Amino acid sequence: MSTGTARRRTPAEHAQRHAAAARGTGTLTGVGTAALFILRRNWLRLAIWALVLASMIPVVYDSQQQAFPTQAARDAYAQVANTPAVAAMTGLPYAAGSLGGILVIKIWMTLAVALAFAVVFLVTRNGRADEEAGRTELLRSTALGRHAYPSANYLVSAALCLATGLLISLLCLSVELPATGSWVMGASIAGTGLAFIGLAAICGQLASTSRGANSLGVALIGLFYFIRAAADLQAEGVNPSAASWFSPIGWAQNMRAFGEDNWWPLLALASLGLAGCLLALRLESTRDLRAGLLPERRGPAAAGSFTTTALGLALRLQRSSLIGWFLGAAVSGLFFGSVAQAMSSLLDPENPFARNFVGTGHSMLDGVLGIFVLFNALLAGAFAIQCLGAARSEEESGRLEQQLAGSLARGTWLGAHLLIAVLGSGVILLLGGYLTGAASQGSAAPALLAGACLAFWPAVLSLLGLQLLAFGYVPRFTTAIAWAAYGISVMAAMFGGLFSLSEDVIRATPFGAIPRMPAEDFSWAPLAVLLLISLVLGAAGMGRFNRRDVLAN
Amino acid sequence: MASNAPAIEVSGLAKNFGRTAALSGLDLRVETGQVAGFLGPNGSGKSTTIRILLGLLKADGGTARMLGADPWQDAVALHRRVAYVPGEVNLWPNLTGGQAISILSKLHGEVDERRRAELLDLFDLDPTKKARSYSKGNRQKVALVAALSSRAELLLLDEPTSGLDPLMEQVFTSCIREAAAQGRSVLLSSHIFAEVEKLCETVTIIRDGRTVESGRLAELRHLQRTQVTVEVAGNPAELAGVPGIEELQLSGATASFSVDPDLLPGVLAALAAHSPRNLVSAPPSLEDLFLRHYSEDPALPVSARGGER
Ligand SMILES: Nc1ncnc2c1ncn2[C@@H]1O[C@H](COP(=O)(O)OP(=O)(O)O)[C@@H](O)[C@H]1O
Ligand SMILES: [Mg+2]
Repeated sequence: MSTGTARRRTPAEHAQRHAAAARGTGTLTGVGTAALFILRRNWLRLAIWALVLASMIPVVYDSQQQAFPTQAARDAYAQVANTPAVAAMTGLPYAAGSLGGILVIKIWMTLAVALAFAVVFLVTRNGRADEEAGRTELLRSTALGRHAYPSANYLVSAALCLATGLLISLLCLSVELPATGSWVMGASIAGTGLAFIGLAAICGQLASTSRGANSLGVALIGLFYFIRAAADLQAEGVNPSAASWFSPIGWAQNMRAFGEDNWWPLLALASLGLAGCLLALRLESTRDLRAGLLPERRGPAAAGSFTTTALGLALRLQRSSLIGWFLGAAVSGLFFGSVAQAMSSLLDPENPFARNFVGTGHSMLDGVLGIFVLFNALLAGAFAIQCLGAARSEEESGRLEQQLAGSLARGTWLGAHLLIAVLGSGVILLLGGYLTGAASQGSAAPALLAGACLAFWPAVLSLLGLQLLAFGYVPRFTTAIAWAAYGISVMAAMFGGLFSLSEDVIRATPFGAIPRMPAEDFSWAPLAVLLLISLVLGAAGMGRFNRRDVLAN
Repeated sequence: MASNAPAIEVSGLAKNFGRTAALSGLDLRVETGQVAGFLGPNGSGKSTTIRILLGLLKADGGTARMLGADPWQDAVALHRRVAYVPGEVNLWPNLTGGQAISILSKLHGEVDERRRAELLDLFDLDPTKKARSYSKGNRQKVALVAALSSRAELLLLDEPTSGLDPLMEQVFTSCIREAAAQGRSVLLSSHIFAEVEKLCETVTIIRDGRTVESGRLAELRHLQRTQVTVEVAGNPAELAGVPGIEELQLSGATASFSVDPDLLPGVLAALAAHSPRNLVSAPPSLEDLFLRHYSEDPALPVSARGGER
């Protein structure tokens, strides 16, 4: 992997090079040591990625075998499998009449894309992130060759891909799927990873921060995913359009495990990976340490007048997080709504486990909707705690001190953060509930479900109240206390019955206290009590915060 | 608020963190329009004092007044007239340096936009870069530009030059001189003596949360003793009896001692009688005074402590 071999060298240079090689100062010297070092630093991460991804194979295989136990069932499925949704999300169902083909439909895309994410994060972690943190500087000053550490980084990532692919193939073989298909299955997933190592390596040269490198890598995964989705949507039967060849994910799909079992796209995938790594090494020798080839993103030279207010600043700091949570609530609402009907007809009313979740009061559909309302409330609760947690991190980082050293009252500052957490959680509840109803194809009125979700607002507020109390009295433990309280409330509301907690105990926790409409009937009392608790706790916490020392750590 | 009140008036200030006493009897006074140095080794309580003055920490004892008001009760109103530069500047990594300057300077009261542009230029700071990419020095510059572009009457600066290179330190020095010329009051905390000596009219030296010395630099200089090292032909131990010679240390034919400047003529006359072969005399140095307060053992001879100048 040395660079500059194309150039003619003078005899003197040759001599120098030979001498250097003899002394062990080539650009790759120490690549083995570096690889061991990277392995030591990442082995747990690597093991988790490989094992979690590979373990999906037996899990999904079992469930599919149960869903389609007979060849007749699989043939029936093959008739209806080719829908635009399946083509766009997971690829064309070219072998839906076999268990191997069904396995590909259900899990191949997830595994391939997940492995691509894994290598992007891994290459950045041991590449650009190290450089950003100044660790690379330290390494360069040692006896390691110039290309040794980055090469080791790429090699370790490649090893992850190969190990994951091998495990997948072996697990496929272990459930007695066809041998060739099993090997192509593992190879096509490993190949996707290899290709993205090359792309991630280049991203690490372009961006100057690890965030930037990761964002670029993830954007490439997204881009290539959409290219192949478009190609699969424009398929003729189960053959994708030619656009599929513009995406490495498409190349890997075209290996068609358990179908045609093509091997040759693997060569293209591996070549892309190798070419990317070589180019990255080349680029690395032409640039300064810590610099990126892309210019750093600039921003405004001054803040707008709204951003300089307490509320404006808090909103600006939370902007991307707010967008993320709102999108999450919308997507999960749409998802819940669209599966509500199907789920309630799937659930066996006699199954005690199912009963435990959906309750015994109303119809199965209402029970399922009630569960979704609760899920949405849990989402809003997690958002609220994370959002108010920003107040604590402002204090911890010392940025609060600088703001309060200005003419900003403590109450105004904390009030701004609180307002966003309170209103934001309200928006999540309404949005999630409304969209669940809207996507439920008439199973429930959107406004009704929005209201059912909003009934959980006092539960969320009571958790915020406790968080404020902790922030006032024991600021160092705010985060721990808030999440512990949240975790206990979630466990009680979701699994309390399974753990044979008494009804009274469950009713004494925030999410358990609120009537779970439409499965249960509405009543004001628990809402009023929780609201009162929120106010008392919140006021006590706020009052204490006004009187305590502001301390950075 | 009384216009003739001192900018800062602190007496007997005490503050405990759990069992550690950060401050125990700290006195500090800064007159209006004065540039005052606040010197002390790391951990001596400078930042704690400034945080109490900013109403971020509540004192456990003693009194503190700033611009004639109570720093805890009147915090918000007071902060319109005060600008602060912390020792460790933390910025929002996703915002640009320029956005951070806008936010911070608005909090310090009225902003002078023209001055802001000048300062950005002087400190050679690119305000369009994300704060994530700033070095410690650049973060410090952000806080300095924000503080200096405000029209605050009082500047509280907590080791403001700790991340600046020498060139930027010069820019800082001239900015503080300018602020002083405009009649603003400045409290400059530092653990580097030379910085205070360069800029300040008065200095307060603290150690272990206590004020150990304070006054005008000129007066303090006068209080200092001249250091003499001399090699004599006879027995240097005989010098012990000479009036004015103190802290005498002997090694072979060499004697080191300190002398009150007023008694120097008599001492020199006495030395002449011992036929000195070599004599080194160091002028009274404030750094020595400072180092004397730093060192654990106050009896240690000043000459043995040597500061770099
Ligand atoms: N938040 C805190 N918790 C515990 N001890 C502290 C805290 N802040 C400061 N101290 C202690 O108080 C003393 C004075 O610290 P500080 O005011 O930061 O000193 P300086 O600014 O002069 O270096 C030190 O001993 C320090 O360890
Ligand atoms: Mg300090």
